Amino acid sequence: MKIEPADWPQRSQELARLLARVHLGDRAAFAQLYERSSTHLFAVVLRIQRDRVLAEDLLQDIYVSVWKSAASFDATRSQPLTWLTQIARNRAIDSLRRAQAQPRLVSTTRDEDDESPDATDALADEAPGPLDLLGRASVARELSHCMDLLSAPQRQSVALAFYDGLSHAEVAEHLNQPLGTVKSWVRRALQTLKSCLDKSAVRDQQQGLA
Amino acid sequence: MDYAKPLLADALAAQYVAGTLRGPARQRFEALLPSHPALQAAVRDWQGRLMPLMAVLPPQTPSLKVWRGIEQRLWPSQSTAAVQPWWRGLALWRGATAFASVAAIALGLLLANPPPSLPPVVVVLESTGASPLAPAGLSLVASVSADGRALVTRPLTQVSLQASSVFELWAVPPQGGPRSLGLISAQSPTVLQRDKLPADLLKGGTAALAVSIEPPGGSTTGAPSGPVVFVGKLQL
Repeated sequence: MKIEPADWPQRSQELARLLARVHLGDRAAFAQLYERSSTHLFAVVLRIQRDRVLAEDLLQDIYVSVWKSAASFDATRSQPLTWLTQIARNRAIDSLRRAQAQPRLVSTTRDEDDESPDATDALADEAPGPLDLLGRASVARELSHCMDLLSAPQRQSVALAFYDGLSHAEVAEHLNQPLGTVKSWVRRALQTLKSCLDKSAVRDQQQGLA
Repeated sequence: MDYAKPLLADALAAQYVAGTLRGPARQRFEALLPSHPALQAAVRDWQGRLMPLMAVLPPQTPSLKVWRGIEQRLWPSQSTAAVQPWWRGLALWRGATAFASVAAIALGLLLANPPPSLPPVVVVLESTGASPLAPAGLSLVASVSADGRALVTRPLTQVSLQASSVFELWAVPPQGGPRSLGLISAQSPTVLQRDKLPADLLKGGTAALAVSIEPPGGSTTGAPSGPVVFVGKLQL
């Protein structure tokens, strides 16, 4: 199931109906919800937690908690796909922190050990890079003019944090830059995106009314 | 910190949604969220801006065991029953309701087709809920000619399978393991090959019919290797 950014609200509407039934304990609706959202959520999780076995465990945790917390989803305020994606991302990011605290589980490090390239590396090789993803998203959402307002390092920092779940410190290490510099890149990039996106949203609305 | 300040709320929400708010800072933020409408609004705005960018991630299909694990964790009492071979549970199969629908469909078929000398035997295979691809509530009908020499399957709801999987139909004898009757379509009626049907199909050789999800070409092990998604008892 491939979701285009433009389809997001509509896909969300279908899922909202299913979530409402899940809230009432409807298992068939839950199975459908899983069928329609799991490939997306798994992509979100796998992007951050690249160990496939751990990522599948996480996906299980995520849907178990979705079943249990469907009541807390407020359809009048959020879109289901957004709600689900946020849950999935938070869990995936937490799993990295836990994995770092337990060295036994670490299969996320990408240093040394070059004699046995594992599944992690294979995935990293064929998966599109975070910048590439941001580029595709900007084309799909026609926000390339907003992206153009960001400097190259700003774009790269945001992409690494957003898609790959890297912390400020990890982005700094990755780009070999001071932490403070990276923090301000991310902060400014987000502010620039905000004002540009909000302007285009207003423009879209006005065109819609005209 | 004063989280009611709009600028601070907005900056924190941005970092939360972008994923860079970490550790104790994120925990504090999540703890405050339920009681701060301004924070909630800021988070919603940022989610609206950023989350659709996630849509460009190429979809990834988790293995079937993820769904099974979810079901086992949420409804453990039912999955302990599944520890037995699945066809052992058939005796308990909902007799009355199944019979009512069998009767209704048999009547429908009789009205739709000019009656042959003997009516066909119709088996309603109901979804087991073992896979999200065939959620509970779906059913599939198999009709066997009275002489047991022809079998046609017909999905009552179209099921969309991925290209990497197919439906395989099985005859389950009263004793022993199931035996393959061939591959069937998840979307349209399938006429099974005559030579694959066991001669004793309607003569006590079959207790039930079942459908499993298999790799293209069908199971290579001689028994269902994927989840059994439809089961129906044969009632003569």
